[in-house]
Amino acid sequence: MSDFKKSDSQVKQGTLLAWFDKRYPLVSTWNEHVGEYYAPKNFNFWYFFGSLALIVLVNQFVTGIWLTMSYKPSALEAFNSVEYIMRDVEWGWLIRYMHSTGASAFFIVIYLHMTRGLLYGSYKEPRELVWIIGMLLFLVLMAEAFMGYLLPWGQMSYWGAQVIISLFGAIPLIGPDLALWVRGDFVISDATLNRFFALHVIALPMVLLILVFMHIVALHQVGSNNPDGIEIKKVKNAHGLPMDGIPFHPYYSVKDSMGAVFFMVIFAAVLFYMPEGGGYFIEPPNFEPANPLKTPDHIAPVWYFTPFYAILRAIPDKFLGVVAMGAAIAVLFAMPWLDRCKVKSIRYRGMSFKILLTVLIVSFVVLGWLGTQPSTPELTKLAQIFTALYFMFFLVLPFTSKYEKTKPVPERVQ
Amino acid sequence: MKKLLTIFSLLLLPLVTPVQAAGGYGIELKPAENNLRDQDSLQRGAILFSNYCMACHSVKYLRYNRIARDLGWTDEEVIAKMTFGQNRVVDNVMTRMLDGVAMEVMGTNPPDLSLMSRLKGTDYIYTFLTEYYQDEKGNWDNHALKGTSMPNVLEGIQRHASPEDYAQAARDISNFLEYAGEPAKLERLDLGWKVIAFLLVLLLLTYLLKKEYWRDIKH
Repeated sequence: MSDFKKSDSQVKQGTLLAWFDKRYPLVSTWNEHVGEYYAPKNFNFWYFFGSLALIVLVNQFVTGIWLTMSYKPSALEAFNSVEYIMRDVEWGWLIRYMHSTGASAFFIVIYLHMTRGLLYGSYKEPRELVWIIGMLLFLVLMAEAFMGYLLPWGQMSYWGAQVIISLFGAIPLIGPDLALWVRGDFVISDATLNRFFALHVIALPMVLLILVFMHIVALHQVGSNNPDGIEIKKVKNAHGLPMDGIPFHPYYSVKDSMGAVFFMVIFAAVLFYMPEGGGYFIEPPNFEPANPLKTPDHIAPVWYFTPFYAILRAIPDKFLGVVAMGAAIAVLFAMPWLDRCKVKSIRYRGMSFKILLTVLIVSFVVLGWLGTQPSTPELTKLAQIFTALYFMFFLVLPFTSKYEKTKPVPERVQ
Repeated sequence: MKKLLTIFSLLLLPLVTPVQAAGGYGIELKPAENNLRDQDSLQRGAILFSNYCMACHSVKYLRYNRIARDLGWTDEEVIAKMTFGQNRVVDNVMTRMLDGVAMEVMGTNPPDLSLMSRLKGTDYIYTFLTEYYQDEKGNWDNHALKGTSMPNVLEGIQRHASPEDYAQAARDISNFLEYAGEPAKLERLDLGWKVIAFLLVLLLLTYLLKKEYWRDIKH
């Protein structure tokens, strides 16, 4: 890799670039984060999902802005305005489907992005903060998606929000008042819709943007992990550059462009040929306007919340259910410390971790399916088993990971 | 690459098994077998809808000029065929019934049908329309929705036309309501493959670009 010499950050004097660079750290920022950001050369397809998440974020921002131009955040007009967008606004249907498909795509991408982190130990030292900021992003994204789902003001929007917000009511002492405060009314109403709109289009996107910025800054401080879990900064050449690293630009900018287009092909296939996602991305009952007097037969949250919803329902006590649901997310924050194995990548880790991680992923998927189903005694039993298995991962991992029989990790990436 | 494809196909798996429509209809739905590209069927459906359904039901999110544009009629034709000259082309498709009459006569407000096809599916509409029956006392009921307040509006066609023509009439109405549920649907279907074709070309180009750049990276 010696042919990559660090480009001279001295900019030729008298140019427009020099004028800017004197007043703004243009060249150094570019070099630090793009042009001379050295990433491991052995990224596999799991490493596409970070840049894909960014692309979906941009998609949500742009389509969201255009939706806002025609959407009306009022209990009387919201449902009509969505249909107005779907029918009367030029290309409105396309913008709306891009936004609704984008919401689901966001979670698919993020779940795969998180899986990557678990597979290759990207949460471990020195990347704990990258992981924690990422988890915060996930949390804010869930809030963002939840509030966005109320806006079309369909039956499922309304009753889904009613169910989830009533969960706050299960908290002892302050619960009922808290739920009232969140809704701004005794039921989900115009007041709730308006505040959710404000949070969905201004507050939370702003937090998301700041967190994304921090996520990337933190990542670039410590450098990217890779499928071998090797720190490329350990082996450097005469110029002080990592031997197994290549500059992000142009190598990964062209590779990620390819990944982005591949993703867009799949995204377009869903958007144009199954925008309802088989009833998972847009639930059929949401084509009926919200009716506070008529509860749907079966209230199911959107698919990306169903694993946590299944955990909530698995616990017989409502408050403990809420606690379990919160804990299911909270334990993920602790991953850097729950996993005590020094080896990062699953490629060189012991059988115990491989089994545990498989159990975790299978449990998550099964819980996700269970969350879409009406609850029956048998399914509830099943949900309880898989909830136990889900938490088992986090309880057992600290013990097994300490005594794990790992394989020797090579010095250089393979 | 193989792993990648496996993962993506696994991701799509839940989509193949559609969500069970809530509630259950008591009977197996019959496939409507309508065709959104059959413009004659859509035109017949629109006219049948105005004759048999619009006395009570609206399609309030649809306008006459939109119907004209999408179904191949002129503005004059749509007004003549669907409203007997009673409306302007910019009007929304609203029922002729006055407010409150339905509640008095049938004890319920007939739902707006703009989104019925997306709420319950075209097959449901077709099944509902063709599953009226008369019990021994002579009262009408419906297998798909027991105790429905809606009368068997197609009874005349059912009695006097051939079973095929009767089924076709129900199919045409279902077809029209599928169109009404998402007027841009055909536009969506026709645009989709062009976008995907463009993206596939772009994918090839980005792949070649990546390959060219990565030639000097030793693995």
